[in-house]
Amino acid sequence: MSLIKARIIISGIVLILFVFLFTGTEKISIFLSDILPPFQFVPALVRTITQPEALFIVGLIIIILITLIFGRIYCSFLCPLGTIQDILIWGSKRIGLKSKHSFSRPYNGLRYTILGLVMAAAAVGVLSPVGLLDPYSLAGRIFTHFLQPLITQIYNLGILTLKPFDIYFYPKQTAFIPISALGTTAVFVLLISYLCARHGRLYCNTICPVGALLGLISRVSFFQFTLNKKACSECSQCENVCKAQCIDLQSASVDMSRCVGCFNCLHSCSRSAVSYQRRQNHKSANTWSPGRRGFVIGSIASAAGLVALNANIGKIPCIRFAQATPPVTPPGSLNTTHFTQACTSCSLCVSACPTQVLTPTFMDFGIAGLMQPKMNYEKSYCDYECDVCSTVCPTGAIMPLSLDEKKLTQIGEAKLLEDICVVYVNHNNCGACGEVCPTHAIRFVDKENILYPEIDKQYCIGCGACQLACPTTPRSIVVHALPVHKKAEKYTRDPQVILPEVPVDQNESSDPSFPF
Amino acid sequence: MEDTRKYNRREVIQKGLTLGLIAGGTVIFGKPDLLMAKGKPAGIPDMVAVKNGEPDVMFRKAIELMGGMDRFVKKGQTVVVKPNIGFPRLPEVGATTNPLLVKTIIESCYTAGAKRVYVFDNVVTATSGNARNCYKLSGIEEAAKAARAIVVPMDDFSYREVKIPGGKQLKTADVPSLILDCDVFINVPILKHHSSTHLSIAMKNLMGIVKNRMEYHLTGLDQCIADFCLYRKPDLNIVDAYRVLMSRGPSGPSNPQFANVQMKKTLLMSKDIVAVDTAAAKIFGKDPESIGYIKIAHAQRTGNMNLKELKIATYAM
Repeated sequence: MSLIKARIIISGIVLILFVFLFTGTEKISIFLSDILPPFQFVPALVRTITQPEALFIVGLIIIILITLIFGRIYCSFLCPLGTIQDILIWGSKRIGLKSKHSFSRPYNGLRYTILGLVMAAAAVGVLSPVGLLDPYSLAGRIFTHFLQPLITQIYNLGILTLKPFDIYFYPKQTAFIPISALGTTAVFVLLISYLCARHGRLYCNTICPVGALLGLISRVSFFQFTLNKKACSECSQCENVCKAQCIDLQSASVDMSRCVGCFNCLHSCSRSAVSYQRRQNHKSANTWSPGRRGFVIGSIASAAGLVALNANIGKIPCIRFAQATPPVTPPGSLNTTHFTQACTSCSLCVSACPTQVLTPTFMDFGIAGLMQPKMNYEKSYCDYECDVCSTVCPTGAIMPLSLDEKKLTQIGEAKLLEDICVVYVNHNNCGACGEVCPTHAIRFVDKENILYPEIDKQYCIGCGACQLACPTTPRSIVVHALPVHKKAEKYTRDPQVILPEVPVDQNESSDPSFPF
Repeated sequence: MEDTRKYNRREVIQKGLTLGLIAGGTVIFGKPDLLMAKGKPAGIPDMVAVKNGEPDVMFRKAIELMGGMDRFVKKGQTVVVKPNIGFPRLPEVGATTNPLLVKTIIESCYTAGAKRVYVFDNVVTATSGNARNCYKLSGIEEAAKAARAIVVPMDDFSYREVKIPGGKQLKTADVPSLILDCDVFINVPILKHHSSTHLSIAMKNLMGIVKNRMEYHLTGLDQCIADFCLYRKPDLNIVDAYRVLMSRGPSGPSNPQFANVQMKKTLLMSKDIVAVDTAAAKIFGKDPESIGYIKIAHAQRTGNMNLKELKIATYAM
């Protein structure tokens, strides 16, 4: 089996698993979230920093090691966005948009500037550049914002056609994606599609910070692609199949910092002039100089960026908290700062949430939290018996917490607006909020047979069930975010239920009389 | 059932006259339940109450006293059995109808010759993940499927709008087409505490087949609950008072250990939805006069809350 076939099979399996991770059922998502994200560079790195866990540290070490040994094969084997681009490139070839690739000079200045800025921003706790450009998070958003709704619609249409035959399935629901977030993802999809059709893997070699970082390592990787000048007939077969456009026939060199390790060139050469072998030192010295210039430019630019950011560092949190109503963050995210500084907006929690309460935002968290998800209580509520988001979150933005802990985690506080609540205004029984409150934080006070709701704050966990259920427009009960999550009191049984329950069974059942 | 039928003038006059005569007659005789009691063979009670048995045994006894399921379900008819599956709770919490009872009713319908029996409820928080949890956790999905019923999940396309004739607050309702098209509609509520209507029984259970029920909350629960019965009363109401949730209803706690349940081991059965709610309130230990919708429905002549005027068959096992 050739290395190309191996790559296609492995990357295909990885991509399919990713599709299942983002579009499958809760159980599938939970299962795959333990396996796939630890071996993605950005989640592994962020998790290692925010909340170190063995598998993620191992994953990070493995990614760095395989890059040191084999070059950037991560980009062709493991990266979901890489495989999506390979499919797009293959597709654009099939429809004749571009028949062959040709060598192009690297855009090292831009490339290392982006890398430097992204790293500098991350260093000061602003994760939105990483989140925007990271291939894993971007792929996740593509799956969640486009693929999942599509699959759901097809599924629902499918089950609708079965209804006349008395065959019933549960309809699926899909996460609400605001148009701003959808548009942002669409811009990236269009950009990547264009780059793929015209310039192969240019995204990976110029914009992607992971590609740039791994490229620095793969320059000195143990195995390298080399062109044997003596055997080469300059037929440019290898150049034509090089998606990274990094084979320069004139200088007979391969830019290993851009090579994505697809092995296409190896099999294209009829004269075996392309080889994949141990690095030879004198060659790397040749290819180093243009990269070095870019790297120097990038370093300077990023240092300048860091200074610029530092000058504004005080303002960034201001943007974030400037709003009157900061968004509610999911249970396990501890506080708004922790959440925004660890979330790369991959939207995995959005796609996995069974009640679809998590909604990707655009600027709700400020410029530092672009596309990060919030609890959207106008669309849904947080299920009391569920901790899926904290289980699947790969970066530790939503820390894992047990279901029992989750049930006592106050992420917000419900406030009752008595001036618009129908019970207080019309003196009619409503009780929609109390019916759905899972913690019994909403009590009813009986005044002349009308039951008036009241909130007992100590039990409220801010799940939003009451807000969603409230029939008035605007809602008479609204959850306000707690920027720092708190712990709720545990609701114990009613005072009148202290009696043992089991013996009561026997006592009750023997009475043969009826009350009428 | 036609929901948007246009009447011509003659029909309207005829129908109006007939209705007026019947209504007038009933007022004179002072027994509104006569309206529903036509065709009832002599000796059959208006209501049956059975206690101290298991749900299936009590049901078989009750339906026998009622004159058998054949009175309600004829050969080849389609039946809707509507239990309460409103919350994701285990049967032990007493928030959802007993699955064994649901199963026995379905079996009885098929024995009487029913062509198809449908089982469904509109869950309170209707996200897909939750609806599935409700159906599964309540044990009703499994029980109903074991008895060959068709378990139907609700979606946005399951409803048709109907007008409520004479509704004071509730003028229109979105009702599942299956209810509108079925031959026999059997209401199988569970008796439980309810935070905003005091009790949830048979009439309250019908809120589960109305999609626009937020209107109820907005315009007054009691009046709307009573109003809906002006549209269609179930052909039979079977109240599950086997395991009764005494507080923290309608959902009850998710952990059955903390559920304040009493084993009343009782089953009520009647065509009269007001009577059956009145009797159930008494079993719960609550004065029916304090339940808004029972009083309104009685006043609107949906049924009779004066149990003394009814023929009630009781049976203790």
